[in-house]
Amino acid sequence: MSTLKTTLTGYTGYRGREGHYAFLLHRLTGLGTVLFLAIHVVDIALVYIYPEGFGDVLKLYQSTLFGIGEIGLVFCVFFHGINGLRIAYFDMFKPGGWEIAKQRNSTRITLIGTLILWLPATFFMLRNILIHNFGLFGG
Amino acid sequence: MAATTETVRRVKIRPNYDHVAWKWMRYSALLLIPLVWFHVILQDVIVGVHAMDLNYVAERWANVAWRIYDAALLGFAMAHGINGVRQVANDFIKGERARVVVSWLLFIFWLVITGIGAVALVAGVRQNFPLN
Repeated sequence: MSTLKTTLTGYTGYRGREGHYAFLLHRLTGLGTVLFLAIHVVDIALVYIYPEGFGDVLKLYQSTLFGIGEIGLVFCVFFHGINGLRIAYFDMFKPGGWEIAKQRNSTRITLIGTLILWLPATFFMLRNILIHNFGLFGG
Repeated sequence: MAATTETVRRVKIRPNYDHVAWKWMRYSALLLIPLVWFHVILQDVIVGVHAMDLNYVAERWANVAWRIYDAALLGFAMAHGINGVRQVANDFIKGERARVVVSWLLFIFWLVITGIGAVALVAGVRQNFPLN
């Protein structure tokens, strides 16, 4: 139990600003993605195991709540990928990049890159929800 | 001035499990960026969940190339994800015994989920006969 506390205190107490936040976000987005992935594999497997129930699962996915979760998931996937590229690049080609000041810059670039991919995707997914769940835009 | 000589001795260290696992996290990551991003952009953004039904999956899996694509996704993403969970878990667990137990539980979980996915991927959409 004390290990849990020590690690959590380290996770939250370390004040490393951007580089620290990138580390935390990388873990959170990774855990979020793998949690969804495990559920997703099983729900798609229903097409063979229990095809009669597949429609109900899809209805759940089409709900507004799950739609918002889906938008979050897409953020997780984009951030985790770009931040992973940043980590691999520094590790393999530019160890100097781990310097605190440079980390700050590269983390900001990572976030901007994530937003460039995520915002247009969010626009279309939100539009889908508004069309199908709220009857807007001629839905 | 005394000359100094420098000898470089190369030592081959036998990579242990975590060394290999770490390397595969990188390899799978590089593969997963195009695989997952394209999958997400296609299914969530371009097609969208509202346009999906049993028929959509059946038509998609009628093409064996998509099944191979999905098999790659299942294999690499699930392994990358579960090993990631193991790395996070090791941050919180210090006891050697507890680590072994958690690793085995995660391995079994990975095996079960991947097995379920693989069965569906090979068997495909179950259609009731006669088809309507």
